[in-house]
Amino acid sequence: MKIDKKLIKELTDYLNEYGLTELEYGDGNTKIKVSKLNSLIASPDTKETKTISSSKITETQVEIGTKVTSPIVGTAYLSSEPGGKKFAEIGKKIKKGDTVMIVEAMKTMNHVPCPLDGVVKEICVEDGSPIEFGQTIIILE
Amino acid sequence: MFKKILIANRGEIAVRIIRACKEWGIETVAVHSNVDKDSMHVRLADESVCIGSHLPANSYLNIPALMSAIELTKAEAVHPGYGFLSENANFAKILEKNNIKFIGPSSKLIKMMGDKIQAKRIAKEYGLPIIEGSEGGVSDKIKAKQICKQIGFPVLIKASGGGGGKGMKIVHKEESFDDLFSEARSEAKKYFDNDEVYIEKYFQNPRHIEVQVLSGKNRTVHLHERDCSVQRRHQKLIEETPSPVLTNEIRKDLFERTVNMVSKIGYEGAGTVEFIYEDKKFYFLEMNTRVQVEHPVTEMVTGIDIIKEQIHIAFTGETALKQSDIEPRGHAIECRINAEDPSKNFQPSPGTIGMCHQPSGFRTRVDGSIFQGYKITPYYDSMVCKLICHGRNRNEAIQRMLRSLDEFVIEGITTTINLQKKLLTHKKFIESDFNVGWLDNDKFYTS
Repeated sequence: MKIDKKLIKELTDYLNEYGLTELEYGDGNTKIKVSKLNSLIASPDTKETKTISSSKITETQVEIGTKVTSPIVGTAYLSSEPGGKKFAEIGKKIKKGDTVMIVEAMKTMNHVPCPLDGVVKEICVEDGSPIEFGQTIIILE
Repeated sequence: MFKKILIANRGEIAVRIIRACKEWGIETVAVHSNVDKDSMHVRLADESVCIGSHLPANSYLNIPALMSAIELTKAEAVHPGYGFLSENANFAKILEKNNIKFIGPSSKLIKMMGDKIQAKRIAKEYGLPIIEGSEGGVSDKIKAKQICKQIGFPVLIKASGGGGGKGMKIVHKEESFDDLFSEARSEAKKYFDNDEVYIEKYFQNPRHIEVQVLSGKNRTVHLHERDCSVQRRHQKLIEETPSPVLTNEIRKDLFERTVNMVSKIGYEGAGTVEFIYEDKKFYFLEMNTRVQVEHPVTEMVTGIDIIKEQIHIAFTGETALKQSDIEPRGHAIECRINAEDPSKNFQPSPGTIGMCHQPSGFRTRVDGSIFQGYKITPYYDSMVCKLICHGRNRNEAIQRMLRSLDEFVIEGITTTINLQKKLLTHKKFIESDFNVGWLDNDKFYTS
């Protein structure tokens, strides 16, 4: 994965501009966290801070796992029929646009498409369980 | 009379049944899933039993759990409402074996009319016109053409193996039959790996007309027709009676034939025989062996409480009504209020109801189960209530419905109320110049 240096610079600039110690930014499958927390606590000296601000980044974290969330409240089904083949299985590849699971809301079956290509790391809901809007249903790596 | 009835349903129909029972001094038992514990039907019933989790299969369709609830509460009869187990012959049979009265026809009749092919055969046998077509799949072109000539063009060629419009062709003229038949077969082969197709009459301008019947061992009566042609994706949105498109001559023929079939099969209870109507001809579709969602429009014009009649027939085996008792007056319309967003392709809209004000007034009825603070869960049907208005004529019924829809306030969820207003003021509705495909073909309401 390509790291966007410009974005990191922009984020760290905001960190200083608004006097923040930590800032996390997410877009699709990428998450970037910039923080100057440790250094600041360790040396509140303004001079030091200045040095830090020139190097700026103490931590850049790009999370690998991507959470896929439910776009609707309802009942989650892991396969199209009871006992049928599951849409997503741990360790298996899944393509962008493939159905991750079905969420039934008011007798309407809604196919939740996978937002990107990936490998299923974790399935977070049980078959037939109630799920809410925004709830994580699977994690991809 | 029965001392205690268990209502094997939820929502507005459970409330409707409880109301009828209460008026006759019959004790009521509500059953519910865990997420429905605060519902109106649970609050209004004398007793309630939680029978399972949110999934219908674990609760409202859970026959062993229902049988336990019956045993626990010593209910003598079960009213199944509509949907869920209302047309489940197995459930009716289990109740019969346990000497609990199922408020509806016998399991044998449910099974018989529930099998679409058998029901069609029975309808034909007793003189009801059916939708003509090939009995099964056809592969021979010459034979297929002969069938088409018998039915008359236009015809519809459909793949036996699937749906979704694939392998489906409308043939308007005999000249284009050969090509389209071949195309349909090759598409069917491609998509379903089965080139078998069948042929049936194609309706260009179909209306949905149904006849309400009440039948006992002594006689069968009809409660006239309902026109349910305002539909979206085959689900009814507005129903009315009488139908603005039937002539008295056709009506008489339709009722006579329907009553004849229903009495000949020995039907007991309330039922509805559904038809497609086009070009002054009606064609049998199916028979629903239960009460319908839209039964209130018939109640408004006839003054007959269909639920109480069901209970009476279940208890005595006979109907107390004579055909001469049934004289409908005026016009009634029902609008289904669903928790859906018509502008987003009828996307479900569950949520908690904030402010809730339901209309009332002269000849205005709301059958529902909602109240302020009620949480509409995503686990069941999207219909939250029904608004029914009665007028001296169709025009007055429309005016009253518009007035009532204006009074309706349901905050917190998106409903079909605004859509209903658009429909009722639409030229096509006012002139009753539309068919069942109207809302699917013309999405004027999305903007």
